[in-house]
Amino acid sequence: MNLDTALWTAALFAALLRATAPVLLAALGGLVSERAGVVNVALEGLMLIAAFFGVMGSAWAAAAWPGVPVVWQAAAGAGLGLLAAVALALLLGFFHLELGADLIVTGIGINMLAAGLSVFLMVLWTGDKGSTAHLASLALPSLPLPGLDGWPLLAAFANGDSGRGHHVLVWLALLAVPAVYGLLQRTRLGLRLRAVGEDAEAAAAAGLSVKRLQYTALACSGLLAGLGGLYLSMGYLVLFQADMTAGRGFLALAAVFLGARRPLGTAAAALLFGAAAVLAAQLGARALPSQLVYMLPPLVTLLALVAFKLQARARRRRRAAAALAAWRTTSTTNSA
Amino acid sequence: MNGPMTRALLAVGLALAVAFALMCAISAEPVQALRQLLTGALPEPHWSADTGWTLRRLTRFGAVIEKTITLTLLGLAVMFGFRARQFSIGADGQFFLSALAAVAVSVWLPPLGGLELLLAGAAAVAVGFVWGLLPGLLKAEFDANEIVTTLMLNVVAVQAFRYIVTHGFNDPAAGFLVTPTVPAGATLAAIVPRTQISAFVLAVPLATLAAAWLLRRTTLGYEIRVVGDAPAFARQAGLPVKRAVALSMALGGAFAGLAGLHASNALLHRLPADLQPGIGFEGLVVALLARNQPAAVPVAALLYAFLEAGAQAMERSTDVSREMVLVIQALIVLFVVAERLWPAGWVRRKAAI
Repeated sequence: MNLDTALWTAALFAALLRATAPVLLAALGGLVSERAGVVNVALEGLMLIAAFFGVMGSAWAAAAWPGVPVVWQAAAGAGLGLLAAVALALLLGFFHLELGADLIVTGIGINMLAAGLSVFLMVLWTGDKGSTAHLASLALPSLPLPGLDGWPLLAAFANGDSGRGHHVLVWLALLAVPAVYGLLQRTRLGLRLRAVGEDAEAAAAAGLSVKRLQYTALACSGLLAGLGGLYLSMGYLVLFQADMTAGRGFLALAAVFLGARRPLGTAAAALLFGAAAVLAAQLGARALPSQLVYMLPPLVTLLALVAFKLQARARRRRRAAAALAAWRTTSTTNSA
Repeated sequence: MNGPMTRALLAVGLALAVAFALMCAISAEPVQALRQLLTGALPEPHWSADTGWTLRRLTRFGAVIEKTITLTLLGLAVMFGFRARQFSIGADGQFFLSALAAVAVSVWLPPLGGLELLLAGAAAVAVGFVWGLLPGLLKAEFDANEIVTTLMLNVVAVQAFRYIVTHGFNDPAAGFLVTPTVPAGATLAAIVPRTQISAFVLAVPLATLAAAWLLRRTTLGYEIRVVGDAPAFARQAGLPVKRAVALSMALGGAFAGLAGLHASNALLHRLPADLQPGIGFEGLVVALLARNQPAAVPVAALLYAFLEAGAQAMERSTDVSREMVLVIQALIVLFVVAERLWPAGWVRRKAAI
């Protein structure tokens, strides 16, 4: 591979990571709550509210503490965004667990609340209705991996084609995959969360506090979806736009189901959605009508949902056939 | 306290109370803002020596009624899926494609003396039905999450709409990207001066009755309700669960198709390529607000349209922006779906003291 092709591939790879990161983070959040038996339809709203408060928080921090390094101002904004997302996730939990509201409908309500509140507060605080373009908000930094000077090929992939490194939240999204896998599969908390999701009554009988565990799972999903939202407004773009999540939270939910409710499967599904978005952008650059290009990611999702289901069905059928064959051989040996 | 009507009123009252508290916090004139929100949509009786009593602001009130018609139909559309516990949010896509189909049929047919309107309506309903059946079959046959599939199909439908209007079905003389205009014979004329209220207003009671009849008096409606209320029982009893699931969404699509027909042949007469999506979600709010009871849907639609027009009046005459109404709507939904207004444990603890 010569260096030009390598750089082009690296640029594509960076674009793939950029498109994947927000969906991946939110999907992992959705996975944690789904495994704990509280499906989180509000990922979209949680991303949106974090994106909004991240922008506002960073602008406020920059105005309030002008002497502080920019990174810390941005981090303060990000912290506020995460706080807002977690609070909203807990509100979802409160309505479902305490007030007995249907989880899915409440999730839809929380999405509406986030969409309304973000625009309402944006008008109130900035005077703008479409976006916060006139507000001096901050971005979270990109982090290059040091020590790759001798390997230009490796550097191009690890630090992007520009060499400035990938966004800190892209790195975090990549790290979140093993982290969530470890949390769910290798820790006591993860075991308990899965136990609650598998059978809440049995878990309660075993002495687990179902409510507290489900609140914990929702808070986790708020945190991860919030990180995904922050990437949109403090990385991908450096401003907040009304409805800037544009369905990514729902794609994240789709990734959880597409990935058969497993961390690696969810990550693979998120990557597939990211690839579809990149492909759409690439085709768009080749003068295909933009409307057809925009149809691509949803069509890929629909086809993938059907294909994966067919595959799972075939696998189940094979397994059943194998079990039947095994039973037949044992029963014939027994009778013989 | 437990009647659905009282519950809904309580939820609305509570949401308005929270909204008023918000207004007090941010506005210099909260009382005026609330008054505008609640009365801004009403026509204003006006007396002058020349003309006697006249009604002002009829156009604004007309907009409320027009929106009520659209939202009633979309609310009924969403309700059908919800009754089978299918959280289909595909009304947007169904609305776009069926409105386009209605325009296309109206434009292509020769004048038939009013029959073309019926045919356009049939096309709109058929397209809505098919676009609703699609996620229904995906759910029934492939167990594909309907929230995800309907959202994806919405994107496909809106983009297909834009593609067709941009690259073929448009009026080159218009100066912007818009479909050809529906000929006069296929349109519904306004029956109230200075508004777009047409005979289509009759669709509100008729569609509501039809929806209630379908749900209450037909076998399919019974199956849909059982599948929604007691899915395990429905499976055990051998009900055609898959058929009920798929048809609940398809029937919803047919009602969304009527909303599309209303938009194309009564309100707009031609559809711009950049027609804004999102109206389907408003239908969802209406269905939730009506707690999926057909008879309550028109009331909820009226309330929604009324608050929306009030919010615009509020924005014009006070310092509170109309986005406030989005927050109110979300709060109404949350309060409506809550089974109780305080945690069960708190009541018990209080009783113990």
